[in-house]
Parts: sequence; C-alpha cells; structure tokens
Amino acid sequence: MRPMKRLIALLLPLLAINGILAQEEESQVPYFQSSAFNVPRLGGWEDQSTDTVAQFYYSPANATIRTAMAPEEDILAAVRQDLRDLVGTALGDQIYDGKVNLADGTWRSLIFEPDEVTTISVMARKAGSQTAIISFVERDPALRTVLLTLAQADDSLEDASPEIARAAKIIAGIDMKYLAPVEITALLSGEWIIYEGDGFTAMGMVFGNDSYVALQEGAPGDLTALVEAYNRTLLGFFITPDNSGYLALALAAVFAILGGLILSFYWRWRHLRQELAMIARLQAE
Amino acid sequence: MPRLLRVLTGVAILGFALTFYLGFFVAGRDIEQGEIQRIFYIHMPAFFGAFTAFGATVLGGVIYLWRKSDIWDKIALAGVEVGLAFALVNLVTGAIWARPIWNTWWTWDPRLTSAAIMALTYAAYLMLRAGIEDPNRKRAFMSVYGILAFVSVLTTLFIIRVVPETIHPVIVGASPQNAQGSFEATSGVITALVPSLLLWLTLMPITLIWHRVRLENRIEAVRRLKLSVLSE
Repeated sequence: MRPMKRLIALLLPLLAINGILAQEEESQVPYFQSSAFNVPRLGGWEDQSTDTVAQFYYSPANATIRTAMAPEEDILAAVRQDLRDLVGTALGDQIYDGKVNLADGTWRSLIFEPDEVTTISVMARKAGSQTAIISFVERDPALRTVLLTLAQADDSLEDASPEIARAAKIIAGIDMKYLAPVEITALLSGEWIIYEGDGFTAMGMVFGNDSYVALQEGAPGDLTALVEAYNRTLLGFFITPDNSGYLALALAAVFAILGGLILSFYWRWRHLRQELAMIARLQAE
Repeated sequence: MPRLLRVLTGVAILGFALTFYLGFFVAGRDIEQGEIQRIFYIHMPAFFGAFTAFGATVLGGVIYLWRKSDIWDKIALAGVEVGLAFALVNLVTGAIWARPIWNTWWTWDPRLTSAAIMALTYAAYLMLRAGIEDPNRKRAFMSVYGILAFVSVLTTLFIIRVVPETIHPVIVGASPQNAQGSFEATSGVITALVPSLLLWLTLMPITLIWHRVRLENRIEAVRRLKLSVLSE
C-alpha cells in the first residue's frame, strides 16, 4: 500500500485551504430572540423584555415599544389581550383601522387612545394560529404621537407626503397645506422627510410600495428617536421558519448515499469471497 | 486490513460523529434560515471531499500515464466512485436546502448547473470505463479522461466568483449581489465548519479511496484466479 501513503502525503497540503476560513464576523445587530419571533434590540432604550415578550422603554417620551406573540387568531382580541396589562385600562374603540401588505404578509394597522394621555399605535398580523403584535405606547401628557404604515396611493412617488396628508386628516383633522418639508434625515430604517407645522411635526418614508408615517402633536419632542426605534422594530421583525422536516430529509439523504457507497463495497467484497469459495470448491473437485 | 487503514477508519467514524455533534447540537440555530441551515456543515464539506477524491483521480491518472503502474489507475477509479458519492451528497443536500430558502428544489443557476455537469461528467467516467474491454487501452483512456474531467470541478469551485448572475451565496468572502440564503461566518459557524471541512477534505475521501482500492485489488486477484482455473 505504499502508493496510498504517498497519496496521503500529497493530499496533506490541501489542509492549507482551511487558512482562508480564519475570518470571523459576529452579527452587527443584537437581536431579541425567542422561539416565536425575532426583533432588533433597541439601543438607548431600557430593556424590559421577558423570555417571550420584547419590550423597550424610553423615559424622555414615556414611550414603550412592545413585541409579542398572542395565542389568539382574532387580531383585535389578541391586541386587546396583549396590551391589557401594559396599559392598565380597556383600549376602547380604535380610532384608525387599516390593512397594509408588507413583504411578510398582511398587517393590520390600529390606533387606540384609551385616555387623554395615552396614544397606542399597533401593527399586527396572523402567524399560524397566533397573532404577532408590535405596539407603540406613548404616555407623554405634552405629546400625541401616532405611527402608521399605509399603502402608497401612487407607488411611483418617492415621498410619503400623500399618505402623511391622509393620516393627518384622519387622525388629527389637520390640513396638509399647513405643513412644509424642512429636512431630510437618513436613519438606519431609511431616509425620512420631516415636515413641521404649527404645534405639529410629521415624518414620512417610502419603503417598497408603502409609506411609513409618524405624526406628533404638541411641543416639539424627540420624534426622530421614536420613529427610528419603532420602524427598526417593525422592519426588523421576523419569525424563524420551522423547516426541521427538511433537515431530517437532508440527513436521511446523506446517510442513504454514504451508506449506499459503503454497502456496495461490502456486497462486492462478499460476492468476491463467495466466488473464491466456489473456485476453491471447483479446484478441489 | 492494514493497521494504518484500521486507524484511519476508526478516526474517520469518530470524526464523523464529532462533526455531526458540533454541527447539529453545538452550533446555534440560524434565526433567519431556521434548522435547515445546519445542512451547510455537510453540504460544503461534501463538495471539498469530492474535490479531494477527484484530485486523487487526476494524480492517479498522471502517475499512471507516467509509470504505467496499475495501482495508480485503481486509485483514479476509486477517486471517481468516492468523489461521485460526495458530489451527490453535495447536490442533494443543496436541493433540499433550496426548497425552503429559495422556494424551489432546483434552478439553473451557474453554480448548480456546473455542479450537475461535474457529477454527470464523473458518472460518464464509470460508464465509459465499463464499456472499454482492452485493459491497457482502458487505463490510458480513462487516465486522460480523469485528468480533463477535473476542469468541471475547478469550474464549479470558481464559477460563483467570476459569474455575478448567481443566487448561490458565498460564505468565505463577499456574496454576489443577487445571493439568497447567505449567513455570517460567526464563531459558532466556524467551530462547526472547520472540523467538518477537515474531515471531509482529508480523512473521509482517503479512507474510502483506500478501501475501494483494496476492493479493486481483490477483484483483480479473483479475475486472475478465474483465468488460471479456466486455463488449467
């Protein structure tokens, strides 16, 4: 078997190829991970998360962003159930209720105002027999902040101004002509246009065929921080797919192919042994 | 069985069990792709195992043509059989991974197409070999074929680095712009991948090729014995 030993010596330099694997790159975005969903962790926000709920609190605006998976198929019932403990009061009727198609499914956009200081913006969608809920709860008495996602009326437009006008009219009864774009700001979630009016600030961004809209009434607050945190949560939300069946299938295929190769060696070896025995018998006869 | 081969076989079996444990129990679950991403710890090493085995075919072919020593032709043949099995593992695991990630079992992407051509090229080697009766002519012809066939292996290896219109991800280095199903080479991935790559690149092909060469020696011995019995 000298050629085999020589072959081993000749193939050993192939080990050097592993040197190219010496790079290591860890994930740049820290994620809250649960068995049900994943969302980015919000830097600068107080982390109040549990094993199953991602919840972050921002004290300057008395705002909370909460992501949860509710064991309920009815979206409205799931939202009410999920926010009951956080808000501490009944949500009441929604003041806005719309649907929007995002890359991962159809989401329902809801706005609640259960009392004079609390404004709740919710995005929720069905996930199997459960409901995924992303809520923004703002309880600053000096502010009223609403975050919405709306399908673009004209998807050839690069800015969200028609949807901002629509939302401003529905939510605050404000006519858009009093708002003027004052600034374009690039955030991690995208490029946003900021509009300002008398006691009113709006922000808008287009992503895909949808407009992401933020409206804030009252004294100028830290709307940019709230918009960035909420939309990073919304755009960064995803559910890890359950494809363990495919993994089992792949492993079965691997064992079948390698097992087949080894069995073919064995069967051929066994067949040769039988042939040798037969030849020996023939020679003896 | 030679002692070195016994040791290699034992280490290869233990190594397979260890890399299986690392890939399926130690490495974390990919949060975007889910459990199916773990098949990567077999899919990519299987290709490099095929690379080594087909490399042995080239080596066997070159040395056979140079020295006309039968043992190198047997190594070349063994390399094709083992490499083809590894290439099939690579193709099948890739197709099963693609179903949940790309939403299709197969697409005529440059990397997939070249990998399929590579497997067919070596399947044709076995069929052609069986079809040539003159032993010396067969060995010489198949040596040349085995050397030339390696072009398909190199093409498969490098095609995603030269053809930008591919959706096949690259793990070492930047993926092409259209790549779908990429993931980062984090420390967990490296921990599971490197031992698996080492095993499939060296121990597994070498051990299996050696076993196959021993089988071929036995086939040759029985053939000779049969001829001698018939001539008596």
